[in-house]
Amino acid sequence: MYAAPFSYHRAASLQEAVKLLQELGEEARVIAGGQSLIPLMKMRMARPAALIDINFISGLSDIQTSKGELRIGATVRHADLENSSAGTTIPIVHDCAAGIADVQVRNQGTIGGSLAEADPSGDWGTALLALESSVICAGPDGQRTVPLEDFIKDAYTTVLAHNEVVTAIQVKIPPKHSGGAHLAFKRSAPVYPTASASVQLTMEDHHMCKDARIVLGCVGLTAIRAKEAEKALQGKALEEKNVRAAADAARAAAEPQSDMRGSADYKRLLVGTLVKRAIGIAARRARGESVPAGHEYAGR
Amino acid sequence: MAGKVVAMSKKKASRGGSQRFSGNGAAAATTKWVGQPIRRKEENRLVSGKGIFVDDEKMPGMLHIRFVRSSYAHAKITRIDVSKAEKFPGVVCTLTGAEIKRQVQPFIEIGPGGAQKIADYPLAADKVVFQGEPVAAVVAETRLAAEDAAELVEVDYRPLPPVVTAEDALKDESILHPAMGTNQKTFKQAAHVVRIGRLHFHRFSSTPLECNVILATWDPRSGDIEYHCNNTFPSFASQFLAPALGVRIDQIHMKSFDIGGGFGIKITSYPYMAVCALASRKAGGRAVKWVETRIEHMQASAHGNERTFLDTRVALDKTGVILAIDSKHVDDCGAFPRYEPLGCVIWAQVLPATYRVKNVRIDMHQVVTNKCPVGPNRGYSRMQHLWFMERVIDICGQALGIPADEMRRRNYIRKNEMPYKTPNGCVYDSGDYASMLAMAKKLVGWDEWKKKQAAARKEGRWIGLGIGSTLDSGTNNFGQARIINPDAPFSGQSKVGIVKLDIYGEVVVSMGSVPQGQGHETTAAQVVADALNITPALVNVRPGFDTAHNAYTGHTGTYASQFAVTGLTAIHGAAMKLRKELSRLAAWKLQAKEQDLEFGVGGQGPEVRVKGRQKAINYWALANLVNVNNAGMPESLWDITLNCRHVFHANFQIPDVKRKYGNLTLTYAAQVHAAVVEVDRETFQPKILTYACVDDCGKAVNPLIVEGQVHGAAAHGIGAALLEDCAYDADGNLLTATFSDYTPITAMNIPDLMYGHMESPSPFTLNGAKGMGEGGAAPVHTICAALQDALYPSGVIIDDSHNTGDSLFRAVQKAESGGYAGMVRVEHRRASR
Repeated sequence: MYAAPFSYHRAASLQEAVKLLQELGEEARVIAGGQSLIPLMKMRMARPAALIDINFISGLSDIQTSKGELRIGATVRHADLENSSAGTTIPIVHDCAAGIADVQVRNQGTIGGSLAEADPSGDWGTALLALESSVICAGPDGQRTVPLEDFIKDAYTTVLAHNEVVTAIQVKIPPKHSGGAHLAFKRSAPVYPTASASVQLTMEDHHMCKDARIVLGCVGLTAIRAKEAEKALQGKALEEKNVRAAADAARAAAEPQSDMRGSADYKRLLVGTLVKRAIGIAARRARGESVPAGHEYAGR
Repeated sequence: MAGKVVAMSKKKASRGGSQRFSGNGAAAATTKWVGQPIRRKEENRLVSGKGIFVDDEKMPGMLHIRFVRSSYAHAKITRIDVSKAEKFPGVVCTLTGAEIKRQVQPFIEIGPGGAQKIADYPLAADKVVFQGEPVAAVVAETRLAAEDAAELVEVDYRPLPPVVTAEDALKDESILHPAMGTNQKTFKQAAHVVRIGRLHFHRFSSTPLECNVILATWDPRSGDIEYHCNNTFPSFASQFLAPALGVRIDQIHMKSFDIGGGFGIKITSYPYMAVCALASRKAGGRAVKWVETRIEHMQASAHGNERTFLDTRVALDKTGVILAIDSKHVDDCGAFPRYEPLGCVIWAQVLPATYRVKNVRIDMHQVVTNKCPVGPNRGYSRMQHLWFMERVIDICGQALGIPADEMRRRNYIRKNEMPYKTPNGCVYDSGDYASMLAMAKKLVGWDEWKKKQAAARKEGRWIGLGIGSTLDSGTNNFGQARIINPDAPFSGQSKVGIVKLDIYGEVVVSMGSVPQGQGHETTAAQVVADALNITPALVNVRPGFDTAHNAYTGHTGTYASQFAVTGLTAIHGAAMKLRKELSRLAAWKLQAKEQDLEFGVGGQGPEVRVKGRQKAINYWALANLVNVNNAGMPESLWDITLNCRHVFHANFQIPDVKRKYGNLTLTYAAQVHAAVVEVDRETFQPKILTYACVDDCGKAVNPLIVEGQVHGAAAHGIGAALLEDCAYDADGNLLTATFSDYTPITAMNIPDLMYGHMESPSPFTLNGAKGMGEGGAAPVHTICAALQDALYPSGVIIDDSHNTGDSLFRAVQKAESGGYAGMVRVEHRRASR
């Protein structure tokens, strides 16, 4: 399968990438890992007139920690994060990175591309919303920082102007006594999850939850912050009754659609269960336990 | 973590079987290499990037073809305009259905009566009958130009109402009605009669890494057509193509080298082969290549057969032994029967499955629907029927309170009943299903799991134990086609092997098979090494298939689990002929008696020597005598060619067409799988906790290859049971045309497999080997059985072969609202026996 004809431009710097976007117009697309764009192009479901390659811009693939913030360059690969110390510091990052698609996609696909694509089932859009994250965008007028909750507006739609490029993602490192988990159910390795849930809990003490963030993935046009579910835990003891209330509130907040991954009813059921389990794992991690978690697959 | 158990059952004399293995009269050689788990000869070539696949081949002036396909499942073609495409730079020509219809004869149909009237052309001319059906083709200098220009072909359709389910299709006239015997009396004698409602075996397919690829050249000078392609049944394709294209079969040159998997599905690529040849002719004899894309493969290559089982009645005695089964089966073959209706009869090879049931009446129908045509798919047609029989066993067991293992033990055909004649005249050659079950139970820890299951149920957990018994019937008798169409001019089974000594004494083997990963080069070398008492490394097996090697008959191909029997026996026969010729030559040259000679490897390579003496002649010298140094050879040796061809024939008869009775298959490899599956109470996701495969394919020629095949078949079956489904919507749109939607099984879904191996040698074959590798979708039976066991207390009846967390969630909801009421009805009678 071959893509429709397009021109290819390799940007040496961010400035050049932005300039190319301006010059080549609306039909130009930025390419980073290409793990979504290239399959769409080869099926001719996407027909960009030009591709602007940002893979060769230096400094765009660094992972840095400073002043309590993790800064992830736009072209950092999922596999880089899977294997980085950032994943140890913030377990939710590892849960997410380690289960995205398959090994080949993780080696090539980028975090910036994933967020800019804004697929409703993308893992990063869900996982990073459970943390305090923002997206740094570069355009003709310089850089701007957009909180992640404002960045993704709708399915496949972000606030990025045509002449802007994502350059980095900034994540505030959660405080002590905070822990999170990203759980997703996938049918097989290369596909998007049927449903996913990200939970970040900050504990007051062993039982009391000070703060909670609960995010649902694949069950709406964007990742959904389940605020009623969060309220069910905030300032409350992490006991079964409250956890169940949070899971029920999460189910109520979901807006799933039926497709080949599952019926709407099933996705609603599933996402609540994932929330419940993610709360359990997040709490244990907040208490300092090391708990493996992440994506689960049909059959095993 | 494979717990490997090998149990040998002694080769026993055939009892009452009409067939015995008879070789070519030569004394059987020792089996030094046969039976050894040696590494595959083809491995290095394949893993070091030296495999030669069709898409690696390039020809001078080669063109590329792109098909324009229907987006509708059922529609009238009202207009096709190729003018814009033809003007596109790089385009050489186009083809349309209307144009092709004037140039070719429609393909032969195997089916009788009405089926003979189906006009199957390689491109749709007036009407499309499934989504993805090709309607036109564009031929261009580059693949890119062909793809660009194909978008410029304008086609107008007038949609027609699609038929997408077998039940809807059945509202019209059904095509085929084979049926067997009558059971009324047996039902009157039964202690229990179990009635089972609708069961459904879903549509899934094979997903070979390499899709269909064809490179065709129709030479305008000779009129010959050369195909380098990955069709896996080239003799069948030739016999369909020659009359359609109006050439002689000897004008069709077929070759393949390496093939990236097939599993049966590549047998049906011949319509595309016809278009590629016609495109080459129109382009003035330039080579034309087609590389199928994955979406094309999913939409329009072939799917496995879908089958619906209706109105099932089962008569049992008071101990749970099945006396009779009566059922109506509807097979959905998609838009064209093509290789069908063979699938409509092949299930009859395993009519009573692994069970002693004497009375079986199946009212078999096959319907066409507006879906992708079906084709052979690993476990072809038998697995649907075996799944049905396993469902019957489990549902009856549960209805009568008899555990699954005990139900099977009571109903299995016994080891001492082998060879066993089925009610429809098939002969099961050997097997010991009860011992296989015992081994599978031991591997999974069945008895301990039973206890754990009881404890887990108290905690509200859904844990189920399941058994799947299945048969991999191999070496088919093509005479079975006559049950469908009494006039079908084919029967029996044959394969060719050629073993020769080349001019410098090299041992060269040409196989009459089309390997796709089954390790034929290795097992062929093992057999020849034993026949000549040399090593497999000294045997040069030509990879792939080539009609130029002349190692073919009309049955040549790789299908129906048979190479270990047919292919290797042919090669063994050829090797023994060569041995005889070498022996005669050596006796003359060494001035010795033939009986004083022995074969082996000496200081100068393979040789023939006089026992106990220093006199020997190596293969180089023997080949030299015939090929380049033959002055003075006595006339009595002039018949020696050192190029020995042997045709294997199975001892088959033409079935009794009226009674639908006869031996349809030579060997019956068996698999018994056992699994423990937990359905998550909250997510309804089935999780395999432990899984064991026990395999018996008679004497394993290469146990390493056998184990690999078992693993592959198990993965395919687990994928089918839990993931893979060719789903259509009500308009006939395929919803699973990409891997993202079809989700073929990946390593992340496969549990650790435990493996057990038993050997019940076949009395009908060389060395006691049986064909194997299809696995009969044992995991589909096994996982359905385990799910049934897990959810039976919740009132769920597993009535579909495909189960996901979503479908189980809905099944439990259905059970809660009483939706399974009446699905299984049990009638207890005052037993007369």
